[in-house]
Amino acid sequence: MRSVLKTEELCVGYGKKEIVSGISQEIIKGQFVSILGPNGSGKTTILKTLAKVIAPLRGRIYINGLLLDRLSSKEVAKNLSVVLTERPSPGLLTAFEFVALGRYPYTDIFGRLTEKDKEKIKEALQLVNAKELSERYFGELSDGERQKLVIARAIAQEPEIIILDEPTIHLDPKNKIELLGILYRLSKKKGVTVLVSLHDIDVASRISDLVLLVKEGRIIDFGPPEKVINQERIAQLYDLKDVHFNSKLYTFELLKNNKRKDIFVIAGAGTGTPLYRTLLRHGFGIVTGIIHENDIDFHVANSMKVEVVSERAFQKIGKNTLKKAFSFIAHAKAVIDSDFPVGSFNRENIDLIHYAIKKEKKAYTLRKKKEAYELYGNLSKKLIYLNDVYSFLEERR
Amino acid sequence: MRRIRHTTLFILSSILFLFLLLINLAFGSVHIPFKDIFQIVFMHSSDSTACSIIWKIRLPRILFASLSGAYLSVGGLLLQVFFRNPIVGPYVLGISAGATLMVGIVMLLGISIGLAGIHPFYISLAAAFGAFCVTALLVALSAKVKDIVTLLVIGLMMGYLCYAVTSILITFAAKEKVKGFVLWQMGSFSGVVWKEFYILLFSALFLSILLSIIKKPLNAFLLGEEYAKTMGVNIKLLRNLIVIISSLLAGLVTAFAGPVAFIGIAVPHMARLLFKTSDNGILIPASAILGADVTVLCDLVARLLMSPVELPISAITALFGAPVVIFLLLKRRATI
Repeated sequence: MRSVLKTEELCVGYGKKEIVSGISQEIIKGQFVSILGPNGSGKTTILKTLAKVIAPLRGRIYINGLLLDRLSSKEVAKNLSVVLTERPSPGLLTAFEFVALGRYPYTDIFGRLTEKDKEKIKEALQLVNAKELSERYFGELSDGERQKLVIARAIAQEPEIIILDEPTIHLDPKNKIELLGILYRLSKKKGVTVLVSLHDIDVASRISDLVLLVKEGRIIDFGPPEKVINQERIAQLYDLKDVHFNSKLYTFELLKNNKRKDIFVIAGAGTGTPLYRTLLRHGFGIVTGIIHENDIDFHVANSMKVEVVSERAFQKIGKNTLKKAFSFIAHAKAVIDSDFPVGSFNRENIDLIHYAIKKEKKAYTLRKKKEAYELYGNLSKKLIYLNDVYSFLEERR
Repeated sequence: MRRIRHTTLFILSSILFLFLLLINLAFGSVHIPFKDIFQIVFMHSSDSTACSIIWKIRLPRILFASLSGAYLSVGGLLLQVFFRNPIVGPYVLGISAGATLMVGIVMLLGISIGLAGIHPFYISLAAAFGAFCVTALLVALSAKVKDIVTLLVIGLMMGYLCYAVTSILITFAAKEKVKGFVLWQMGSFSGVVWKEFYILLFSALFLSILLSIIKKPLNAFLLGEEYAKTMGVNIKLLRNLIVIISSLLAGLVTAFAGPVAFIGIAVPHMARLLFKTSDNGILIPASAILGADVTVLCDLVARLLMSPVELPISAITALFGAPVVIFLLLKRRATI
C-alpha cells in the first residue's frame, strides 16, 4: 500500500487569511476519497492547494513521497490532474482537441501530438463514453457531455491522482450517476486515486473508501463512510435542525410527524413508506406498527420521527408489543391497512384491524375486497376500501 | 475534413492576397497596366516614372501594409486569448495610445533634446517602448484584478491618459513638428520607405519563432489561468512573452503607420469564424494572412475612394471593422 498523497500540519488559505488548518492526512493509491462540508467550509481551497494552484500557508504536501514545493509544475501535472468548478468555454475546439489539451505535459515545445498521445486521447474519450462526441464542437454540447470531456481531459493527463471540485454540480441525476461511476471505475480499475468534493452525501457514502468532513476551518472527521457518516456527524456538519439523516439508508427526510397521532398505519415490507410520505406531507399525525426492526418501513419511519410500534427482527410479535399497539389504536381516529404481506411473523397485525373495528374506529384498507374477505372474514364488510392513499385524502377532506 | 477546410482557406486567402497586391500596384493616381507591372517587378525594366512609382512608392507601401495587418491581427488575437475577452485589441486596451505618446515625445521634443533628424529606428523603438509599458502594466494588473471588465476599463483609461499627455505635448510643440505628428497620428501607410519595411520584416523572423513556441501554452490558456497552471504552463513566463510579443507587434506598426484601429479586434474574429476553430496553431497564421488581406484592401480604399485625396487608414478600417465586428458577434455561436 503506497501513499500517494500525504499532508503534514497543512494550513490553507489566501494571503494572510487561514481557511482550513491542521490537515494531516494520508491517502493511498487507488482510493476514492470524498470531501464533504457546507459551502464556504474551505473544500475548494484545500483542493486548489493540493493541486498547487495556490500556495499553502504552512505545512507540507507530499506526492508519491516527494515534497510538492520541490516539483516543477510540469512534474506535478504528470502526477496530478484537476477538474475545477470553473466551467471552461473554449467554444470552437472539438471534443478531441479539448481532451488533447490534457497531453500538455507530454508534448514537445510546439505541442505536436504523437501517435501515442492520440491513443491516450481516444482511450480517455472511450473511458467517459464520449467517443462519438470526438468531432463535435465543445461549445455545442450539453452540460453533461461537457463535464464528461472535462474529466476525459483530466484522464488524458495520465495522473496518479485526480482532484475534482464539485464535478456533479448542475448535472441531472443520470449524468451525475454516470459521471461518478466513471470516477469509481477509474479508481478501482486503473488504480487512480480520486479526491473529490461532493454535496451528495448519499452517493459519497456509497462509493467512497474514505470521507473527509470539513467544517469551519478544520477537519472534523476522516475515515470510512460507515464509521464517519451518521446522524450526529451530518447534523453537526451541516447544522441541520429540522432535517433527519438516516445513516443506514444514507437519505435525508425533511418531513416531520406532528404531535397528534390520529392515524395508525398498519404496515410492513415497505408498504408503509409511501403512505408515511403522503400523509405527513398533508399534515396528518401518524403512528405505525407493528413492524419488525429489519423492515425498511422501520428505518424510514424512524428517520421521519414517526413513532413505530416495533418488534425485534425475526421474532414473532409479542404480547406487550401488541398491547402497545392496541393502546395507540384506542387513541387514534382511524386505522389504515397498507396492504402489507401477511406471514407467520406478523399475523398479529390482523388483530389490530379487529381491534380497531371493535373500538368503532374508522378502518381503511388498500386491499381488494376479495383479499380482505379472505384475511378478515365477515369483518371485511365494515372496512372502507381505498384505491390508493389519495382517495383517503379525499375522504378526510 | 477540418484539415481540408483549413488548407483550402489558407490557399484561398493567399490567392486573394496576391490578387490584392496586384490591384494595389496597378491602381492609384497613376494607372499602370498589369503587363508593365510584371516587367517592372521581375525584370527591373526601367521605364523611369512607372518604375519609380512601383519600386519607391507602391511596393514598399503595400508590403509594409500587409505585414502591419498581420502584426495587428496576431497581436489582437494574443490579447483576446490572454484576457479571455472578445473585444480587446491593441487599440482598445490603450496599447496603441502608449505607443503614440512615446512617439509624440520623440517626434515633438526630439530636437530639443538634441536628436538631429529622427531616424525611423528611434521612432519604432519609442513606439515599441510605449506599447510595452502599457501592456506590461495591464498584464501585471491582470494577475491581481480578476475581473475582465475592470481591466478593460483600466485599459481604456490608460488610453485616455496617454492621449491627454500627448495633446499637452502638441500644445507646446513647434508648429512644423505638430503637422507631421498629427498626420502620423491619423494613421496612414503613405510615405513608407523600404527601410521601415525591413525593420518589420526582420522582427517578423524573430516574432515567428516566439509565436510558434507560445501557441502551445496559449491553447492551454483557453481553459483559464488556473487550469493552465495545473497542466504545467509556466504562467509567469507566458505573461512576459505575451507582453513582449504583443507590444512589439502593436508598437512597430504604430511607429510608422500611426495608430490603426479595428484590425486587431475584427480580424481574429473573422479568422475564428471562417476557420471554425479556437486552436491557436491555426488561428495565428490565419489571422496573419487575413490581416494582410484586410489591411491591403483598406489601404486600397483609402487611396482610391477620394483620390487624389488620401483618407486616413483608421477611418477606413473602422468603417469596415465596426460593422463586421457587430455582425460577427451577433452571429457567433460560441466565444473564444
